[in-house]
Amino acid sequence: MLRLVALRLAAFVPTLLATSVILFVAVNVVPGSAAKAALGIDATPQAIARFEHDQGLDRPLHVQYLDWLGKALRGDFGTSFQNHLPVSPELLTRLPVTLELAILAFIVANLIAVPLGAAAARSHRHRTDQVVTLLATVMGAVPNFWLATLLILTFALKLGLFPAGGFVSMAESPLRNLSLMIMPALSLGIVSSALLLRIMRAGMIEVLASDYIRTAVAKGATAPRVVWHHALRNALIPFLTVGAVEFGWLFGGVVIIEDIFLLPGIGQLVLVGIINRDYPVLLASTLTVTVAVLTANLLVDVLAGILDPREVYARPRT
Amino acid sequence: MSANLAGGGIRAVAFAAFAWRRHRVLVIGAVLVVAVVASATFAGRLAPYSPYDVNIADKLRPPNAAHWFGTDEYGRDVLSRTIHAARISIKVATVAVSVGLVGGTVIGSVAAYFGGALDVALMRLMELLFSFPAILLAIVLMAVLGTNILNAMAAIGIIFIPGFSRLARAATQGVMRQQYVEAAYAIGMSDLRILGRAVLPHIATLIVEAMQAFAYAVILESSLSFLGLGAHPPEPSWGNMLNSGRGFMDQAPWLGVVPGLAMFFGVLGFNLLGDGLRDVLDPRMRRGLAGPTMPGNVPIFSGSALTAEKTLGDPGSAESPAR
Repeated sequence: MLRLVALRLAAFVPTLLATSVILFVAVNVVPGSAAKAALGIDATPQAIARFEHDQGLDRPLHVQYLDWLGKALRGDFGTSFQNHLPVSPELLTRLPVTLELAILAFIVANLIAVPLGAAAARSHRHRTDQVVTLLATVMGAVPNFWLATLLILTFALKLGLFPAGGFVSMAESPLRNLSLMIMPALSLGIVSSALLLRIMRAGMIEVLASDYIRTAVAKGATAPRVVWHHALRNALIPFLTVGAVEFGWLFGGVVIIEDIFLLPGIGQLVLVGIINRDYPVLLASTLTVTVAVLTANLLVDVLAGILDPREVYARPRT
Repeated sequence: MSANLAGGGIRAVAFAAFAWRRHRVLVIGAVLVVAVVASATFAGRLAPYSPYDVNIADKLRPPNAAHWFGTDEYGRDVLSRTIHAARISIKVATVAVSVGLVGGTVIGSVAAYFGGALDVALMRLMELLFSFPAILLAIVLMAVLGTNILNAMAAIGIIFIPGFSRLARAATQGVMRQQYVEAAYAIGMSDLRILGRAVLPHIATLIVEAMQAFAYAVILESSLSFLGLGAHPPEPSWGNMLNSGRGFMDQAPWLGVVPGLAMFFGVLGFNLLGDGLRDVLDPRMRRGLAGPTMPGNVPIFSGSALTAEKTLGDPGSAESPAR
C-alpha cells in the first residue's frame, strides 16, 4: 500500500514539473504581446521595453521559468499585469467555487451513471438496456454549453425555479448556494455521465458473466444483492479510472460553464487571463486546473489499488 | 430497359431494408452526417437568405412563414445562418481530425515499431499532453497562436494527436506480432517499407475513431467560438450564434435553441456513424488486435471524453506484448 502511494507520488512530481514547463513556454513564446496588452496598442517601443524590463520579461526564458517556479513553490504567482494585484489570493478565493462546481457535477454524473449503467447491464440486450444506451448516446452528443443554455431557458426564464446566474457562498446561505449551483452542476454532470454510463454498463456486463457471480446466484443470492454487493466492486475498477479522467475534464468544462452562469471561479480567471493576455493570471489559473486534474488521477490510482490488489503490481507505469 | 430499372430499384430497396435491419445505428448516423455535410457544401443554394443580410426592421421576429426559425438581433435569418454555420464546423473538424490522425499515426506507429527509449519518450510526451483537459489546452493554444479559426483548427488537431498516437501504437503492436511482418523483416525489407506496406493498412480501423474525433471537434470548435476565441462574427458558427443569442434569450428563445439543435444532430450523426462503423469492422472480432481488456463499446472521442483511452490503450495493460 505505502509502496503504491510512493510509486504514484514519484511519478506525480515530474509530470507536474513537465506540465508547468509546457504551460510556461506556451504562454511566453509570443514576445511583446503581454506588454502591448497591458499598455495598449499605441504604446511606444520604449514603454514596451521598460515594461518588459520591469516584469523581467527580457531575461532568457529558462531564467524566467526558474524564477517563476521558485516563487510558485512558495505560493507566490506574481502580480497581475492588468490590475497589479497579487494573483495567489485571487486564486484562493476562486478555488472553492470551482471545486464545489466540479464535485457537484461529478456527483450528478455518478448518480446518473451508476444506477442506470447497472440497470442496463442487468437487462443486457433487453428493453431497459436499449433505452439506457439510447439515452447515453443522446446525452453524449449534447454540448454542455448548449445544455446550460436550455436549462436557463427552461428553469430560469420560463419556470422561474432557479436564478439564471450568480454566486453566493455556501457559508453565507447554503440553500441559495445550491439553488445557484444546481443548473451549472447539471449541465456539466449530465454530459459527463454519458461516458461513465457506458463504462459502468460494459464493466457490469463483463463482471456479471463471471464465474463467481454464477456461484453467488447458485447459492441463492437475490438479484440486487448480486449486483450491488458482489458485482459492483469489480465493475467499479475500470469505472474509477475513466471517472478520474472525466473528473479532470469536468475541470476543463468549468471555463465555459462558469462564464455562462457568472460564477467567480478559476475558469473565469482563465478566460480573463487570455482575453487580457495577463500571463501571470493565465499561468496560475491553468496550472491550478492541471494540478487538480493530476491530483484526481493520483487519488483514483491509489483508490483503484485499494479496491483491487492485483492493480498494485500489474501496472508497471503510471 | 424498364424491367432493368425496376430490378435495380427493387435491389436498392432491398439493400436499404437490409442495411436498416442490420445496421440501424450506421444508417441513422450516415443520414445525419450526409445532411450536415450537404448543408455545409451547398449552403449557398440551400439557405433561403444570405447569412449576412441585416434587416433591423425585422429583428427578433419569432418563427414565421418567411423565416422558419425566426430572425436574430440584426434581423438576419436564423435558418440561413444555421445552415451556413455548418461550413465552419465541417471545415474545422476536417482539418483538425486530419492533423490529429496523421500526427498521431506517425508518432504511434513509429513508437511501437522502434520500441525502446524512443517509444517511452514519445508515449511519455503524449501522456503529458493527455493530462490537460482538452478545452483548456485549446484555450491556451489559442492564446499563444491568436484567436482565429485557422488557429482553432491547429489547436484542436494538436489535442487529437495523443489519442490517435496511443491507438496507432496499440494497433501497430498487434500487427507486429503477426508472422508476415517477421517474414518481411527476414527477407530484408527496410523499416520504412514494412511500416508503410505491412503495418499501416491494418490500422485503418483508426478511421472509426476519426468519426468520434470529428464529433468532438465540432463540439470543441463551437465551444471556442462560444467563448469568442474561434470564428469571429459576423461569420456564423453554431457557437458564436448561441453566444450572441444569450443576450436575447427572454425575448427570442429560438436563438438559444436552433443553432444548438443543428450542432446536436451533427455531433450525434458522427458519433452514431462511428459506433456503426465499429460494429461493422470491429477489430477485436476480426483480428483480435486490441485484446480483451477493452471495456465494451467505449467511444474514445465521444462526448466530453477523449479519455476512455486511458483504459483502452493503456500501455501497461495486458495487450502490450513489448513488456
